Amino acid sequence: MIDLVQNTLDGVMIGSSYGLLALGFTLIFGVMRRLDLAYGPSIMIGGYFGTVLYLYYGAGPLAVASAVVLGAVIAGIYVERLCFAPMKAGAAIASMVSSFAIWMQLEQAAILVLPRHTYPFPPLATVAPLEFGPFLVRVDHLIMLVCALALAAAVHLALYHTRFGLALRAIIGSPVAAHLVGINVRTAVLLTFAGASAVGGAAGFLVLAVDQQVTPMFGMWATLKGLIAMMIGGLGSVPGAVVGGLLLGIVEVNSQWYFGPQIRDLVAYVVLFAFLVVRPRGLLGRAPEPAMPPKA
Amino acid sequence: MDDYLIGVLSNIGVISFVALSAYLLLLTGEISFGQQAFFAIGAYAAGIATALWGWSLAAALVWGAAVSGGAALLVGVPTLRLHGLYFAIATLAFAEMVRILFELFRYQISIDGELIGPNGTDGFRNIRYIFDHNIDAFQFLLLIYSLLAAAMLGLLLLERSRLGVIFRMIGQDETLAELQGIPVARRKVLAAGIAGTLAGIGGGLYAHLTTYVEPRIFDIMLGVHSLAYGLIGGLGTAFGPLLGVLIDIGLLESIRALAGYRMIIFGGLVALLLIVRPRGLLDEMVVHKIGRGWRRVSLWARRSSLKPRGNSA
Amino acid sequence: MGTAVKPETEGKQRLSDWRMAVKSATYVIATLAMLAPCGLENAHAQIRAKADVSCQPAEKLQYDCIIKLANARTSEPLSGLTLTVGADMPSMPAAHNMRPVKATEEQDKGTYRARIALEMYGDWALRLELSGTVRDRVVKLLRFESDRVGEATPAPGRHRH
Repeated sequence: MIDLVQNTLDGVMIGSSYGLLALGFTLIFGVMRRLDLAYGPSIMIGGYFGTVLYLYYGAGPLAVASAVVLGAVIAGIYVERLCFAPMKAGAAIASMVSSFAIWMQLEQAAILVLPRHTYPFPPLATVAPLEFGPFLVRVDHLIMLVCALALAAAVHLALYHTRFGLALRAIIGSPVAAHLVGINVRTAVLLTFAGASAVGGAAGFLVLAVDQQVTPMFGMWATLKGLIAMMIGGLGSVPGAVVGGLLLGIVEVNSQWYFGPQIRDLVAYVVLFAFLVVRPRGLLGRAPEPAMPPKA
Repeated sequence: MDDYLIGVLSNIGVISFVALSAYLLLLTGEISFGQQAFFAIGAYAAGIATALWGWSLAAALVWGAAVSGGAALLVGVPTLRLHGLYFAIATLAFAEMVRILFELFRYQISIDGELIGPNGTDGFRNIRYIFDHNIDAFQFLLLIYSLLAAAMLGLLLLERSRLGVIFRMIGQDETLAELQGIPVARRKVLAAGIAGTLAGIGGGLYAHLTTYVEPRIFDIMLGVHSLAYGLIGGLGTAFGPLLGVLIDIGLLESIRALAGYRMIIFGGLVALLLIVRPRGLLDEMVVHKIGRGWRRVSLWARRSSLKPRGNSA
Repeated sequence: MGTAVKPETEGKQRLSDWRMAVKSATYVIATLAMLAPCGLENAHAQIRAKADVSCQPAEKLQYDCIIKLANARTSEPLSGLTLTVGADMPSMPAAHNMRPVKATEEQDKGTYRARIALEMYGDWALRLELSGTVRDRVVKLLRFESDRVGEATPAPGRHRH
């Protein structure tokens, strides 16, 4: 029983970063109705920026975090310009495959510059874990949770209490109508991409700092986690992304504890598949419409 | 023909099966990131049949195709309600589940004092059929391409048949197809089954080609690649995915001089190509124009040969 | 392609579709049948090889490999063979592979040397192709790093990344 609670605690904290990743994904999907497969890799590029700063200039966590976010945003804008902006309205699949091609491109570019298997990342905290009765809470996990929640709150604020957020919600509702009302959809999409990449970069930094390393596999990992969390929580739902992430984290940590790392991954996919077959809208999403525009 | 070229061509042939598999589903309007699961099932099934059960290659390939086709039918049913992105991610989840299950799958038999069989993450080694039976690389290449030709023949026939038109109709607009009286659900499951079988044949061939498979090979990369081939080569004809495979593997092999930059160049090229040609090189427009040009030429040829007769009244 | 088809022509078309389906199925079966005789000869006369591979880093992303080939059953060294070494990355089977290089036999019988150049560090499956008096293939999975080469144990469900 204690194990279960401990695992759930850990799961919530790890899940908070999954939630952030899902958040970025959801923002992009919401305004574009397309999947960006290069999302994780752009965050990885940010991670590589960060590790270079750490490795060669001995920068502290805050500077590294900024580097990660900056790198992710630059990569994100590159992806948007190449894979999404120039595509015509119906070419959703083309965008996805294009983003996959850029995923490969970014991965190889990263490996070219930094060929080793793993690179170090500064830790978030070096103090001993806190104890709450029989439960142990790692301080860096706690920092991750607090930062993630703060970011999620900031995104929520931006979406619901700013003019830009209003424009974004309008586009999410109906791009055509938004355009007719005078919103500059293209610019808004670009800015959303940048924002989503920034959020992803922050999430990436938190995860990498807790793990204290970045590897070339991080891109795919981040994309998958964000994707699974987003689908479980509900496609296109901002609070859903966070909830989905937390749930995924809890399920994962418990599975790993009781059954090992392979089962952990298996369970994540089984949960995702089950959700899709039984309740595609996820926990908090809207009922699924044809998610892709009519084929072209 | 030198061994290296045979190896590359064999790879192209085998990967074409998965590409065709994803292409078929794409025709019915569904994006699948998971065809590599059936590739894997076909590979393991056929490998087990020859290496552990002592079957002949032909029987093993049929068995591999049957198992993967059956699995595809099984998965096709619960995912019927899903469309677009939901379906795509469901296939991705399924494929990863299959891959992880292979990481846990152990089935080993002692043959001649040696343990043979799939061994979880270590994979399945020593699928030595073509060595034990003296089939050289070139003969196997011929086998791959004969089967590929047969599959292409089947697909090209499909394109011109009523079923092919039905598939494309479902791809264009499912509701409209349903209104026309087409049993959409059954046709989609059929398409899934055929696609799974194609991938399974490719998998069986792959296992025997490389003599060694492990779960890592059948990851998401393979799946998205298979989809990409159809999109690059063109969705207008079954030759499209083949063209895509040829471009990818062929180009990859020839840009060896820029070895470290291959992906960077190739990725960029694909992204640019998709901007100008979102349905690939041989998209429906191009195929239509080629067809029209061909008809004009054959009509002209027929008219010229008829002229003399017309004059002698 | 989308024009309505009259019932009589549709029937004819269905028949010709069937004919061609039967034709292609026969074609496939015939091809596979052609293979059958190849399978029946020499089913057990093959020599199986086993290999012992050790690689040392030479220059950047280049490795010197010493390969000892022996008969898997009798452990007798296999000499005078043509050994070609290729490498594939397990996670990307068709890409990232290395153009096969010929190995040269050393003084010791059954010991061969090859210099391989890889595209990146990581796990590679070395494909040792034997031809000549013995035709076989041995696959060895190794992890190539900048300073050493070791056994590669494919990590089960890699720790988070």
